[in-house]
Amino acid sequence: MMNIRNLHKSFHRHEVIRGVDLSVHRGDVVVILGPSGSGKTTLLRTLNFLERADEGEMEFGQLKLRMPRATAKEIAEVRKRTGFVFQNYNLFNNKTALENVTEGLVAGRGIPVANAVDIARRALGKVGLSDRLDYYPSRLSGGQQQRVGIARAIATDPDVILFDEPTSALDPELVGEILAIMRNLAAEGTTMVVVTHELSFAREVANRIVFMDGGLILEEGSPADFFASPKEERTRQFLRRLDSVGR
Amino acid sequence: MNFNLDFFVRTFFLALAGLPVTVGLTACTLALAAPCALAFALVRMYRVRFFDKAVALYVTFLRGTPIVLQILIIYSILPSALNAVALRSGWKLDVFAVNPFWYALFVFTLNTSAILSEVFRSAILTVDRGQLEAALAAGLSHFHAWKRIVLPQAFLVALPNLSNATVNLIKSTSLAFMMTVRDVTAIAKIEASYGYNYIEAYLDIFIVYALLGFAVQWAFSAFERRLGSWRKKALFR
Repeated sequence: MMNIRNLHKSFHRHEVIRGVDLSVHRGDVVVILGPSGSGKTTLLRTLNFLERADEGEMEFGQLKLRMPRATAKEIAEVRKRTGFVFQNYNLFNNKTALENVTEGLVAGRGIPVANAVDIARRALGKVGLSDRLDYYPSRLSGGQQQRVGIARAIATDPDVILFDEPTSALDPELVGEILAIMRNLAAEGTTMVVVTHELSFAREVANRIVFMDGGLILEEGSPADFFASPKEERTRQFLRRLDSVGR
Repeated sequence: MNFNLDFFVRTFFLALAGLPVTVGLTACTLALAAPCALAFALVRMYRVRFFDKAVALYVTFLRGTPIVLQILIIYSILPSALNAVALRSGWKLDVFAVNPFWYALFVFTLNTSAILSEVFRSAILTVDRGQLEAALAAGLSHFHAWKRIVLPQAFLVALPNLSNATVNLIKSTSLAFMMTVRDVTAIAKIEASYGYNYIEAYLDIFIVYALLGFAVQWAFSAFERRLGSWRKKALFR
């Protein structure tokens, strides 16, 4: 469904992504692992053009484009078919939880308000926030805010949802809630690309692991293969370190 | 020293007749300067080539020079310049019949747009970049992202400074009398000149401006309270 070829991205002459290919099929749950600075967040952000790649080709459904030359129209089309969940939630501070979810429907897609409210209620119900519809983000906990963020992403029924370390800013008790919601989404067949450090999620929910280091994909495979018998030394090193931290 | 109470009370009400001009000048200036200032702020934030430097220069110049001098210079030059343009293009314009209100509006708009552009720029800078990114990622156009998410939040932050700028503008319009505009100050000074009752006159306009200033500040505070219901509780009360 989505194919990326030869992706490159530099920030001020420091090449952060040095030639990455990625394929995402419908129903995939792709988890991207890697140390900080490996380029995994940047990779995710180039997929919906929050960062502009220096080089790379994207095939997304019927769309074929060269990423550095993508027009505003093409970018808008990609964004309409993707959802993004941010590490620090990025909820619209001046809108209630319900309005946060309807915003993308009404202003982004011209859906009539009444329909949008229905869709939003259902999405918020799915993440367990039916009793907080009229709360502003300033009165929601971190976990609740992230749940609104997820509702906001699923409400528009995107082809693929991108998650940028969705639980990294949450305290350990709340991490589980969010992972459970993501697990349910995956079980329903939602296509997801997730950058995370949560190895248990990767092991149990992903159907493909991508390991990045230094701007390149070092290893790729099913969770079983990846965790049981990593091929590269660097991968083994990474897994050893994470395991020793006691996750 | 005599204090002419009769004159004091009488002139107070005469000066009030200048309020429409003072308030009108302030309101029109704000209405014209605000959109320009927003455009200037966005030009600088998006770093539009050449224009961002031009705007920065314009702002520095107009904020850094005394408004009294801006008034004197423009009032000396603008009518003659307009006259020259009118003659050359065959436009029928008697520059000396033009209501000085328009010259005043021109000067104050120039000055206020410079000040407000900094108010807006600093307010926009307080809004986290993630708000814009989330809006774009949710499928909003740049226009909608700014209009519905970023600018409302920036506006709320700008309100105290806007209140400040408005009150300063009201005070600055007291200089419009130099362009023969019949505002509150002009009327009071003219009345005073008949019998040299300057002290009473100055006290009168002082009170008028004070009342005006209080009213504006109160209005802005109320507005800020109403609009800001979505905010976190402030750190200090």
